[in-house]
Amino acid sequence: MKLLSLSYENFRNLAQVTLEPSAHTTVAVGENGQGKTNLLEGVYFLATLKALRASKLLELVRFGQTFSRVSGRFSLGGAEREIAVEIRNGVRTAFVDGKRAQSLESYFGGVSVVAFTPDDLSVVKGSPEGRRTFLDRAVFNRFPAFLDESREYQRALKSRNRLLKDRAPFAHLSAWDATVAKVGARLWVRRRALLGELATGVVEAFSRIGRTEAPAQLLYAPERLAGVDFATASEEQLMHALAAGLDARLQRDWERGFTSVGPHVDDVELKLGEHSARAYASQGQSRALVLAWKVAEIENLQRTSGFLPLLLLDDVSSELDPERNAFLMQYLANSGAQVLLTTTDAQLVRSAAGADTRWYKVKTGLVEAVDG
Amino acid sequence: MTPDALNRLVAQLAKLPGIGEKTAQRLAFHVLRAPAEYARGLSAALLDVVDHVSLCPKCFSLCDKAHPQCGFCSDTRRDDKLLCVVEGIADELALERTREFKGRYHVLHGVLSPLEGVGPDQLRIRELLTRLQDTDVEEVILATNPDVEGEATALYLTRLLKPMGIKVTRLAQGIPMGGDLEFADQATLARALSARRDI
Repeated sequence: MKLLSLSYENFRNLAQVTLEPSAHTTVAVGENGQGKTNLLEGVYFLATLKALRASKLLELVRFGQTFSRVSGRFSLGGAEREIAVEIRNGVRTAFVDGKRAQSLESYFGGVSVVAFTPDDLSVVKGSPEGRRTFLDRAVFNRFPAFLDESREYQRALKSRNRLLKDRAPFAHLSAWDATVAKVGARLWVRRRALLGELATGVVEAFSRIGRTEAPAQLLYAPERLAGVDFATASEEQLMHALAAGLDARLQRDWERGFTSVGPHVDDVELKLGEHSARAYASQGQSRALVLAWKVAEIENLQRTSGFLPLLLLDDVSSELDPERNAFLMQYLANSGAQVLLTTTDAQLVRSAAGADTRWYKVKTGLVEAVDG
Repeated sequence: MTPDALNRLVAQLAKLPGIGEKTAQRLAFHVLRAPAEYARGLSAALLDVVDHVSLCPKCFSLCDKAHPQCGFCSDTRRDDKLLCVVEGIADELALERTREFKGRYHVLHGVLSPLEGVGPDQLRIRELLTRLQDTDVEEVILATNPDVEGEATALYLTRLLKPMGIKVTRLAQGIPMGGDLEFADQATLARALSARRDI
């Protein structure tokens, strides 16, 4: 998969921009607030139909406009496809080769991106919610069906919470318990599968960048899961375990009006040797951990799907110490992946650049090609 | 200025689902231009539907008011031991098109949906239970949709019906027949894969 060209129309502060990315590294250089992150945001939105940072679709549309569009030409398995996404009056529509995409699956077929932003660097020390989002993005990249499955789960969960708040009779509530348990078990299985695939990759990548003796570990085990071993349980056993968990907490949930057990409250525990990274890792170590996770994710996607995802790096270099930044740049240069990166300082990313690197300067929403 | 009578027609048509103001106007002009017989026929058909069609008191499918029961309930060739529970009349008709199912139906007229404020009392569930009290029904097939609401409704019914000693079954999920694997969406395919069976 290669991204051949990109164009933006009224996307955030980009009025009308066209880019021709390199097959390898493309760098957008600019001061903060000029619009370089918006270039990446557009690609992310195009590839996932979800915003990377903005919380509302309307925030993606250029101020004062009602219509916005991002499109990209991709080479997918030897064929050239144009995919596009439009926001018109707050409604998003996706197109493949000019035709409205019939389903999300047909739209997502083959395009995958891995984004890496400064926000990701705080995942280790941040909230469990941040870690869940981080994990779920990776799960979705690996298992596209996860998108529908997690939407189903959210819907089942919201329904149950509504019944809890409305003080619905237990007979009605228990039907939703069983539904939450069924869909929830599926999410557990997906997350477990991805983390299983990443485990050795994370250890390996971390030992290359971590400068720490202790091995890195990602642990995921749902809380209050009585009677089953999460690592080996079948999906059905997990379903029964979650149903039992919901049942055991029913009185409490009923009093508080929300569901306190399930994939939506779980946390990913990152460990360095015996210690919890959240409590003990230095800032440098926690960033190395995130970096190791991303590298493992990229390599896993390549192993399982046969091609490298498109990598988006938003001003990450300025947040890393020189040595870790050097590792990352070296990794990018050697990976052969197509990379779009932004930076305030071209020097920081120069070692990832090669002869075929394309350089762009971004200023007040205008993008122009420049010589490196 | 268009005459009030035309405006009233446009306003009424625009209330129909899927019909916007412009389409309503186009339809109204069509009625106006057609021979007067068409408009009389249309209005008679509209009134007939309201005056003569009601819900069957037994299965809540559509029924001619002149008859005490709908065609499905009064058909003596159908199997009284099998009862298929569906969300709506459209689902019932879809099943009927297969010409395979020869049991009886029960239409719930919706599914449990807390987010839309639909609970068991808004559905024809009490009527289903009353109906099952003293009948020959041996098996109830739950044919609600495979989404979370349909699933929760099926589970809710299962818990009510099982204690009554009735066999409860659910429609299988998976790849549509005659459909190519390549056209199945990923969630369906994933589900079908995990529910695979020995042959």
